[in-house]
Amino acid sequence: MKRLSIFVAITFIIGLSSLNVYAQDTLKLGIPLPLTGTNAKFGEIEKKSYEIAKDEINAMGGIKGKKVVLEFEDSQGKPEVARSIVERLIDVKKQPVVFGEYSSSCSKAIAAVAEERKVPYLVVTGATDDITQQGYKYVFRMNPTNAYYATGFMSFLNTVVKPKTIAILYESSDFGTSGAEDMVHQAKKAGMQVLLKEQYEKGAVDFRPILSKVKSVRPDVIYMVSYVMDAALLMRQIKELRIDAKLYAGGAAGFAIPEFVQNAKEASELVMTATLWSPQIAYPGAKEFAEKYKRLYKDYPSYHGAEAYSALYIIKDVLTRAKSWKANDIRAAFKATNLTTAFGPIRFEDKAGYTNQNFMDTLVMQVIKGKHQTIWPQKYASAQYVYPIPKWRERR
Amino acid sequence: MPELELFLQTLIAGFLLGGLYGLIALGMALIMGVMRVINLAHGDFMMIAMYIAYWLFTLFEIDPYLSVFVAAPALFLFGLAIQKYLLTPVMKVESILPHNLVILTVGLAMVFSNLATVFFTGDYRSTPVSYASNAWYLTDYWPDSPIELSLSMPWTLSFVIAVIITIALWIFLTKTDTGKSIRATSQDHDAALLMGVNVNRVRMVTFGIGMILVAAAGCLFIPIYYLYPALGRQFTNVGFVITVIGGMGSTDGAIIGGLILGIFESMTATYIGMGWAPAGRFAIFVAALVFLPGGVASILRKRRLGK
Amino acid sequence: MKKFLPLIIFAALCLVPLMDLSSYVMHILILVLMWSVIGMAWNILGGYTGQVSFGHAAFFGFGAYTAGLLYYHLEISAWWGIPGCVIILTALSLVVGYICLRLRGAYFALATLALGEICRVATENLVDFTQGNLGIMLRERTWVDKTWYFYIILLIAAGTYVLIKVVMESKLGYYFVAIREDQDAAESLGIDTTFYKTISLCLSGVLTGIAGAFFMNYMGYIDPGVVFPLYDISITIVMVVMVGGAATYWGPIVGAVIMVFLAEEIRSIPYIGAAHMTIFGVILILIILFLPNGIVGDFRKLMKPFKRKREATS
Repeated sequence: MKRLSIFVAITFIIGLSSLNVYAQDTLKLGIPLPLTGTNAKFGEIEKKSYEIAKDEINAMGGIKGKKVVLEFEDSQGKPEVARSIVERLIDVKKQPVVFGEYSSSCSKAIAAVAEERKVPYLVVTGATDDITQQGYKYVFRMNPTNAYYATGFMSFLNTVVKPKTIAILYESSDFGTSGAEDMVHQAKKAGMQVLLKEQYEKGAVDFRPILSKVKSVRPDVIYMVSYVMDAALLMRQIKELRIDAKLYAGGAAGFAIPEFVQNAKEASELVMTATLWSPQIAYPGAKEFAEKYKRLYKDYPSYHGAEAYSALYIIKDVLTRAKSWKANDIRAAFKATNLTTAFGPIRFEDKAGYTNQNFMDTLVMQVIKGKHQTIWPQKYASAQYVYPIPKWRERR
Repeated sequence: MPELELFLQTLIAGFLLGGLYGLIALGMALIMGVMRVINLAHGDFMMIAMYIAYWLFTLFEIDPYLSVFVAAPALFLFGLAIQKYLLTPVMKVESILPHNLVILTVGLAMVFSNLATVFFTGDYRSTPVSYASNAWYLTDYWPDSPIELSLSMPWTLSFVIAVIITIALWIFLTKTDTGKSIRATSQDHDAALLMGVNVNRVRMVTFGIGMILVAAAGCLFIPIYYLYPALGRQFTNVGFVITVIGGMGSTDGAIIGGLILGIFESMTATYIGMGWAPAGRFAIFVAALVFLPGGVASILRKRRLGK
Repeated sequence: MKKFLPLIIFAALCLVPLMDLSSYVMHILILVLMWSVIGMAWNILGGYTGQVSFGHAAFFGFGAYTAGLLYYHLEISAWWGIPGCVIILTALSLVVGYICLRLRGAYFALATLALGEICRVATENLVDFTQGNLGIMLRERTWVDKTWYFYIILLIAAGTYVLIKVVMESKLGYYFVAIREDQDAAESLGIDTTFYKTISLCLSGVLTGIAGAFFMNYMGYIDPGVVFPLYDISITIVMVVMVGGAATYWGPIVGAVIMVFLAEEIRSIPYIGAAHMTIFGVILILIILFLPNGIVGDFRKLMKPFKRKREATS
């Protein structure tokens, strides 16, 4: 069929035309993000944060004198698409360094490509531990992994609450699964008994059957690893069923963003969550970034925003220090990183079975009077924690 | 008495859920019976209704329950247009595979859900009404009760309204001429034609009623759940699972099937594990297809004829 | 001339890697070939035997997981998944066939849809065995360069094409079409419809599974959301074949070319990119309305407006 050969010819032409010729004074950086699909909300937050950072960096003269131009590519939250985007960035656009993506599965897929092509990749948000446990030399992760998400929270539990039992609910994604697995480890270490560990599929309409089960085992702590709408629905139904536990806590993500409070309303009050960052934290530039974001977009950014914002600064730092923009020089620059960003201190270490991983303190937030406040560790706290919490019947 | 409490609470949850599911399935069953098409875009029509309700709530502060009066007519007209310009022409086309109608609805579903993403973004939206987490508690009325049971206010409200709508529909189908024409066409298309029923008009009206039902279902759902563009998919699934359990085209079957599915899902979630719930839904679907192809309706029919 | 066309195209494709195209273009071509295989496989069951399946993702995913789990649990190369598929997918097809083939038309379509979803949820939940949503990742892929992948999938695609031609021109093919046209009449003529439908399903399933195993090796990462989803795989397969033309040899291939190109190219355009599913949906609707036998099937209908113009000017 003639048509097939015409198509092949058209592909050829389009393929050639996507080759990017570097303009002299600009540095084009492509960033894969989920701009549509279920994670679109977080993709949006990160995109906005990247742009704030880019404007600031350009105002200060750009990276090595070149103006930074960001091109966001929509991975739709699918690992195959993320991979294909990054392959194009590396093979066709010859980008010297890759960074971005939100979900663990996409970050994993990109990491494999980057390692294969020997191009450095900075993981910004993907949290499953295995990404930096493969011994990959070209993959660097700035954010703490799932195993470390809850360290701040565990310290709070061990110091203040001292619970004996815990029930864990988690969504079936890789984020939920690994978050739950890690909580199980932590619970065992702390001598807590895991009474229940239940997986649910995202988008469930009715949690009451499983919550009734939770109610019947009467745990001290209810720990949930969910994204925002499930988190809101869970708390609303917990309130409705009047399940009284000593503490309700989330494993970051959905529990740590303002939408949680907006959607769960009174049910979100006094709920705690592990988190990696908060707008009140005292790292340099954190408060300014949070306020700037709020002025532009009406809400405080979540920790994902802080990660994205700081990621661009890390890239700037690495590209400035690198001897050249060849892969191995950039890699060496990454390894030598010692930078304090709005997200926190960044150093890539090989430790505890991880390669090129940044280790940071994690925090605990609590919703007090409708606002997220940092409550633990106390050196970072913006408000005093509220514990013990009153029973549902006694509230209001 | 925690086991009893757990069981009763699960049963209540299943019942309430089933009532709402039934409403969704009713629309689908009606359309299926008369037009012999499985409308895989059904859930997406519901999504459209929910967005209408959402915007009315956010912009004009109209309670979602009242939005039914706006969403239902809107969807009725929209459905009529789709039916006239897209569905009917395809029914007449000759092609190798007769499944074109179903595939057409799949195309529609894709277009609706994607357009919603483009216009409204993938953000999750909800209508946080003030009574969203209110509930009636057994211990408030019977302080010495050995168990605690709660009935969520919005769920119960939605359930009651769903029941009212179902009863209204039943009256319409059995007592009015149009209703009887619809049932006749559903039972035997050609016989109805011979009896002088204007089958084309019946098709249009039925589709429209199906749309009204699904719009109502959407408005009843939005206070207790939330909204996002791809929501249609899971409710379409619910819809056709119930129509198969209940019996294709049978309205009684849809109601009973809805309750069965609701209770089954709740029980599965509690006693087997929530992660399996979606698989459970499909497992019961395949089981019904294989072991009881006529659905619950065939059991009812046997009973009726048996008399 | 027409007889040699497939050979010419095959030869041309063999030469493609020598043209030193960018890795990205090779990726697109590999995807086109893979989707052609899946489309052709579906076509055996759907286009030729008339059993429209909305659940082919089950076969695709099973194939991918066969390769992936062999790698993960037995630590052998994931390429063994391809021969492994033949056994496992035949078994799966027999099970699916036993449950679903007794159903007709739309019921069959829905049942396969349900089975596809059950496979997905089961894979998600059996975390100990399948790693659930953590997915399976190949530590390193066999080749970084795409050339060998291209040749492998080209071989698979060519093999599938030849197989289909041979089958459809044999008695088996006639039985399939007879079943599609009127199953009861075929049964009354003494054709064991259940047996032949099962064969059709097995062929379809195994070939789809092989494509899945290839996918695992090529992509290096799979999880239930990647290989079992309803819209992204099952319904896309239906679209590929319907747009190209069911029950034709070239239909699935043309469909694959269109769908893959549209997907990749539309996605890159800044604002329209998000609307690519809308565009697919609209194309599907238009095809159903005006070209129900697909581009290849209704080729003459498609060419009508052009012919008329020519006549008008002469």
